[in-house]
Amino acid sequence: MNDNQTALTLADLSFAYPSQHAILRQLDLTIAPGERVGLIGPNGTGKTTLFLLICGVLKPTAGEIFLFGQPMRYGAFRPEIGLVFQNPDDQLFSPSVRDDVAFGPQNLGLSKAEVDTRVMESLRTTGTLDLAERPPHHLSGGEKRMVAIAGVLAMRPRFVIYDEPSSNLDIRARRRLIRFLQAATETLLIASHDLEFILEVCDRVLLLDGGRIVADGAPRDILGDPALMQAHGLERPHSLVPHEIPHHR
Amino acid sequence: MLDLSVDEYAHLNSPLHRWEIRYKIAGLLALIFAFSFVRDLRLLPAMLVVTLALYLLSKLPWRYLAHRLEYPGFFILMLAIILPLTTGTTVLFQLGPIAIRAEGCLSVVLIVVRFGCILTVGLVCFGTAPFLDAVRALRALGLPALISDMILLAYRYLFEIGTDLMQMRTAMRLRGFRPRRPDTETLNTIGSLVGSLLVRTYERAERVYKAMRLRGYGHGHTIRNELRTRPGDVLAAIAAGLLAAAFIGAQFYLNR
Amino acid sequence: MHIPDGVLPATMCIAGYAVTAAGTAYSLRQIGKKADPRESLPKASLFTAAFFVASWIHIPVPPTSVHLLLVGLMGAVLGYYAFPAILIGLFFQAVMFQHGGLTTLGVNTMMFGIPALAAYQIFRLHKAIAKNHFQPGVFGFFGFLAGFLGVLMVVLIAVAILLPSIPAYMDAAAERTAILAIALAHVPIMFIEGFLTAGVVTFLWRVKPEVLEEDVRPDDPTPQQSIPAVAEG
Repeated sequence: MNDNQTALTLADLSFAYPSQHAILRQLDLTIAPGERVGLIGPNGTGKTTLFLLICGVLKPTAGEIFLFGQPMRYGAFRPEIGLVFQNPDDQLFSPSVRDDVAFGPQNLGLSKAEVDTRVMESLRTTGTLDLAERPPHHLSGGEKRMVAIAGVLAMRPRFVIYDEPSSNLDIRARRRLIRFLQAATETLLIASHDLEFILEVCDRVLLLDGGRIVADGAPRDILGDPALMQAHGLERPHSLVPHEIPHHR
Repeated sequence: MLDLSVDEYAHLNSPLHRWEIRYKIAGLLALIFAFSFVRDLRLLPAMLVVTLALYLLSKLPWRYLAHRLEYPGFFILMLAIILPLTTGTTVLFQLGPIAIRAEGCLSVVLIVVRFGCILTVGLVCFGTAPFLDAVRALRALGLPALISDMILLAYRYLFEIGTDLMQMRTAMRLRGFRPRRPDTETLNTIGSLVGSLLVRTYERAERVYKAMRLRGYGHGHTIRNELRTRPGDVLAAIAAGLLAAAFIGAQFYLNR
Repeated sequence: MHIPDGVLPATMCIAGYAVTAAGTAYSLRQIGKKADPRESLPKASLFTAAFFVASWIHIPVPPTSVHLLLVGLMGAVLGYYAFPAILIGLFFQAVMFQHGGLTTLGVNTMMFGIPALAAYQIFRLHKAIAKNHFQPGVFGFFGFLAGFLGVLMVVLIAVAILLPSIPAYMDAAAERTAILAIALAHVPIMFIEGFLTAGVVTFLWRVKPEVLEEDVRPDDPTPQQSIPAVAEG
């Protein structure tokens, strides 16, 4: 169960807010290093809650979480895992891009020289080097997203979780993000309503509904199954709809 | 309103821009305080000369100063009208019941020059470097860490929260809210506006705190940026300090 | 209402800074005594920005309009953080917009900060009267009191600062009447802020009680706590 070959293992994980109904029920999941996993499901199924649990920001009601073989303790700071929020404004809390990307490395206790190296490296990887001195509120949605990613990458995580990464991006920024993620080497877990995005980036899809994982498999199999998708409040992405059925004008 | 920031000319190059920020703040704030001590009119020309020299050295444009004198200048203008009409016994000029008195005029001159010089030197101090560098310098000069952290975080979200408010007000206006009197309906609506703003801010703060925790907030210390000090920076600060002492000393001497 | 540079004598400015330094030190110590200051910092910082922004809201008071002080509300929401929040807000105003002044930062902070802390303590009293339960009338009344007395204290401190600063030759009687007139003109504002503060604290208790500072909250669970919240997507 907790051998070092897995990036993430969830065992019987459950969560509910105090005196409220359960959000996650006895989840079991294993993700191997290098996998690119997409997470889909209707709103309110607890995707964000799951991410916060995995990162140790919320405490499970029951069950266990193992990250690269080590148990994940509530409140622990594990730089091997990074989370890119749905709303980059909540994540870019420093006065300038450079300061924000440096935040994580500084908290790791690195020397100033090492912090600077990591900052430059992350900015270069995300193509945001020329934004370094700008304040976050001067950035466009796509730029904010890439800077938020840079801030997470600066901690050199082995596992990165993306919560709705393509929301509010224009076409060009979205395409840039797809290409960026296709080239990424970390283990990825991506929650998205943008099913075409998932098709292009992920090699495995989980369907979360009612607090449980109801499907787990190859993207085309899950996303292309009309009965399954409809049963959980979703639709097949346009590219998987055979075009003998006239479904648009 | 928020984008015409005080540091819009911080990118220029002048001796004042190159003066290392900690020494600049210490020196110029000392001078500002010395100016607030001045009560003798004979010292005013010296104040004006020093202020003018500093502003010229800073290469800041004149329209920048003019624009920023507008709002606070309004209140000073009010005083400039009221004081000559009410203060003093020596009448310079009489038109019916309205008398312009000498002491009032002199008071106005003193207040206006003091105000103008302090404001101008203040702009030279904070307009020649990015605002955030100034905050870090204050931290280095002894401002408690909690306060400087609060300043940076508040400054960062000022724009977002301001936008929240603008959007809510626009939405209200589009649904016909045009308040004319402080009646119950107006107060209830504005109360809901303020309450909503606070709730949204609270929820945003929770998300920000989680984001900070996720990147290790509370587990490490922030490294202070090393500032490179040159001898010129220190000498300039000493010079400013001596100048400040001179003004204060002169004021006490003339007053004895 | 903020006093600009150049108007007050230097001794007054220095005294203002001394009082503000003491007030800040006191507030920081009280903050340190309570829960982990690092945890409450993001909230306090963002509320500082929110109250700064909220002060741009104008209430029409014919023939003019008046901007909100919200001193009472800051006490109810921020508790001891109200004092540094006000210091920072005034610092922003002085440096970024040249409202208020650099030499008068101490005086201005004291003028608003002390009433905010006092309003916080006044508002807390509702728990003693209502025996820790939520009674709408008592809650609202003390909210009104916090808002009303908050403005009153600001006016009193402003008068206390301006009276001794009168230029030597000014007709003292005329000056006194002028200052009194300005003070009386603020009485409608005291009532407006009183009603507004009462309204906002009641709104907050019903919608999101955690916004209010911990020890001003009654012990009763609020109506919405029995409804399960919608889980995040």
